[in-house]
Amino acid sequence: MSDFLESPRTACALAGALSTISCLPGVIPIIHTTLGCGGNLANSVAFGSGYLGGGYCSGAQAPSSGVTETEIVFGGTDRLHEQIRNTLELIDGKLYIVATGCMTEMIGDDAESVANEFLDEGHPVIAVSTPSFKGDSYHGYEIVLDAIFNRYLPKSEDRNPRLVNIFGLVPGYDPFFRGDLEEIERLLTSLGLEVNTFFTPSQTFENITSAPSASLNIVLSRVWGITLAEKFEQRHGTPYIISDLPIGPEATDEFLRRIADWFGLDAEPVIDRENRIFYGYFERAADAFCDQDLKFYAITVTNSNYAIPLARFATRELGWVVVDSFVTDKLTDEQKAALSGDYPMQFLTGVQEIARAINKNHPNSRGQRYFDDIRPLYIIGSSLEKRTANARGAMHLSVSFPVYDRLITDRGYAGYRGGLHLFEDLTGKVMSVKG
Amino acid sequence: MGYYEQSVPPVRDTRLKIGDSYYGDACGLVDCGREGCLLQKNRGFWQANACQMALTLMMAATVENSAIVVHAPGGCGALLHSLSVQSAKGRARRGKEPKPVPWLSTNLTEADVIGGGEKKLLETIKYADREFRPEIIFVVVTCAPSIIGDDTEEVVRQVRSQVSADVVSLYCPGFRSRVVASAYDAFYHGILRGLELSPKPWVDYRPLPQGSPDAELAEENYRFEKSRTVNVWNATSIGPGDEEEVRRLLTALGLKVRFFAEYSSRDELRMVSEAALNVSMCNVHDDYMLKFLEEKFGTPYVIAGMPIGFRHTRQWLVSIAERFGLEKQANALADYEEKLAKEAIEPFVEQVRGKKVLICGGVVRVGAEATMLAELGLHVLGIRAYHYDDGAEPVFEDVGRNLPDTPVAVSNQLFELTHQIKTLKPDIVIAHNGTQGYIAKLGVPSVQLWSVDSPFFGYTGTYRILRRIVFELKNTSYRERLSRHVRLPYRPEYFEGDAFKYIRD
Repeated sequence: MSDFLESPRTACALAGALSTISCLPGVIPIIHTTLGCGGNLANSVAFGSGYLGGGYCSGAQAPSSGVTETEIVFGGTDRLHEQIRNTLELIDGKLYIVATGCMTEMIGDDAESVANEFLDEGHPVIAVSTPSFKGDSYHGYEIVLDAIFNRYLPKSEDRNPRLVNIFGLVPGYDPFFRGDLEEIERLLTSLGLEVNTFFTPSQTFENITSAPSASLNIVLSRVWGITLAEKFEQRHGTPYIISDLPIGPEATDEFLRRIADWFGLDAEPVIDRENRIFYGYFERAADAFCDQDLKFYAITVTNSNYAIPLARFATRELGWVVVDSFVTDKLTDEQKAALSGDYPMQFLTGVQEIARAINKNHPNSRGQRYFDDIRPLYIIGSSLEKRTANARGAMHLSVSFPVYDRLITDRGYAGYRGGLHLFEDLTGKVMSVKG
Repeated sequence: MGYYEQSVPPVRDTRLKIGDSYYGDACGLVDCGREGCLLQKNRGFWQANACQMALTLMMAATVENSAIVVHAPGGCGALLHSLSVQSAKGRARRGKEPKPVPWLSTNLTEADVIGGGEKKLLETIKYADREFRPEIIFVVVTCAPSIIGDDTEEVVRQVRSQVSADVVSLYCPGFRSRVVASAYDAFYHGILRGLELSPKPWVDYRPLPQGSPDAELAEENYRFEKSRTVNVWNATSIGPGDEEEVRRLLTALGLKVRFFAEYSSRDELRMVSEAALNVSMCNVHDDYMLKFLEEKFGTPYVIAGMPIGFRHTRQWLVSIAERFGLEKQANALADYEEKLAKEAIEPFVEQVRGKKVLICGGVVRVGAEATMLAELGLHVLGIRAYHYDDGAEPVFEDVGRNLPDTPVAVSNQLFELTHQIKTLKPDIVIAHNGTQGYIAKLGVPSVQLWSVDSPFFGYTGTYRILRRIVFELKNTSYRERLSRHVRLPYRPEYFEGDAFKYIRD
């Protein structure tokens, strides 16, 4: 039995599915549940993920069967059938994905066979089962991509020796997914590779259909997207590697060397050039950074994808002292084990629980004249950590879901440019206090 | 057994004649509502929207010193992240501490769905009480526990003796009603059953011994004060600026004004019974609560539309004033206010005269706003109400008298809105929060139908909305440029046919 959650930093599988679909070019959701689910869940990322907003056909535009009491009693497949037919008539898409919610699953609606009727008629309609009790938003991401790549798209015949797919970053629940993917794409392209990132505005439906012919899948997560990549390999024969999201020059140098090695390419010219640029900027900022003594103790409170990259960046590039790293997504023991290494992780979700743990790990001074506390402190977490930071007199930057105190467009923290952005944002918060 | 005695409230659909799919005019809508044909109408294509749980959470998140337990699978409470920010802002603007509302999800899993989630609910409520020490714990009962038949009322009954907070159940499963406004009843049902609504001796006042010389005078004083006190019932769509305007006007009539139930605390809510009159600011918000208060405490109530625009504001004020024998004063106040406001709006009226406007949002507000703007010389191209029920009848009778030929739709559907905007080509759209981005992408100027940042009610509200329309029209470049780069998901053929083709009887 899983426990109750305080202010969960994720939602249900349907939420993750809808957030994922909303960023896939040409893909249309058909939500098989009440009218409320679609709107409520879309809003949670539209406002809670740096104001991601609505896409081509998401949020209040997303088709939904809108089941009511009648369907709960008599079954909702007729309503779904009508909704799909009219969606095909009204909405222009390349692939339609029926995503179910709790109540239609509980009453046993067979959405898949309804979708199959349309598929048999030649319409691109598939169904995924995404009730909350199947998992949270991160699972929703995997369920949708699994259905598209490992079920809908035919087995790949040919292989593009230069093509890679990027998995692991979850739209909305990784608030900087677009900026991060743009930087990864930019860097891998400069190595001479072609890159499918799927979720950025530059991508098209062709990036989805070409994915099975990729030579390598890169999973930028130790936790999410791995099962997907395993099944992808079984179906299409594409191997995968798992990497942390590289943030800052040291991690990105390593990442590029690893990928270049895999393809038998030389990463050094790219690494040299990128480091020259990075340090060209970083060096000049050293005056402010050091004269103003911007050295901090740091606590990170993020999902599993950002936890290690962030701790590493703060430690290795900024020379900060990371005292706690909290991972806020709900993980299995195996997933937790995958996150072990140089940066010890603590697994807690509730805002209150985490605040309590921080106070326990690092008691505040009780008025002693000499007291070795963790000041100055920087808490890098979600917007929910703002109060915790205020209570500790700490600086605070929101980087993890939910983020509602800043608007995010193409900003990302991955790679070299992302490293500079993160540096700017962290120090900028300190500068803004000076006002 | 009446509705108020039942643990689970009725949804609007059972209590009133209601609908969310209609196209025609105001008179036709009123008739269709009365005859019940509205009940039969439905759509063959729907787009996602909100549910009664969303609005219930929105209201609960505003109540002071409360915690929310969402009894649901993990996804249902997710929008509380944004609601919490909104209510923190509402608190700040009312001079209260802008702290977010703590909330928990019972996070029902497959095992709970099979075995029942009652034990988990009990634990979660106890944890919320221990950890946050709230005055009120709202237990929000959603679709899943309603379908599996969790006896949440029994859990709440048991837990009451084990926690220090008052526990209030809010039943709002989304599948029971497609009409979001059902949330008002769900919320008020919880409040009226779960909280004390009259003052407690020694806590709220010090009883004087009978026959003491002070007692009679004190009682007389109190009776007089109560006879001049009105409770005004707010809602999220009624911002602090609206409350200020209403307070200003009613205070000018010598009345003492208190606002309930949003942004009230448990202690403040115990004063609900101590008023001479309950006043609604919207026909479809609070009739359920006001009827209860009349039944329980004998407090009469006034439901007289929304104080939007000169005519409606005067009518609203006079309806209240009548109860205190103050009609003359109310009319004099309205005369005075109108004189000042007319001068103030004159330059704006010139600039908006003849502008074509489409109005969309809550049923009472769109009706009131439409007649107001028409009276100021704008051309109302169409009215779109999110839902319709009996409560809105007087408003749409008024619309029918004043704008008999204006198209009226009952629709919260974006595809129909998009069609109407593309084919009717309004100069400006006045629309509900949550749709502004979609309208901007069509390249059309729009302003909020309501916002918590500024008043829309009374005289300052009239001034403000006209000023905002003029402001909007001063520079429309953002939208024009944006719209050139946005691709709509709808097939072009749809815009050549009937906007409401998917509505069926």
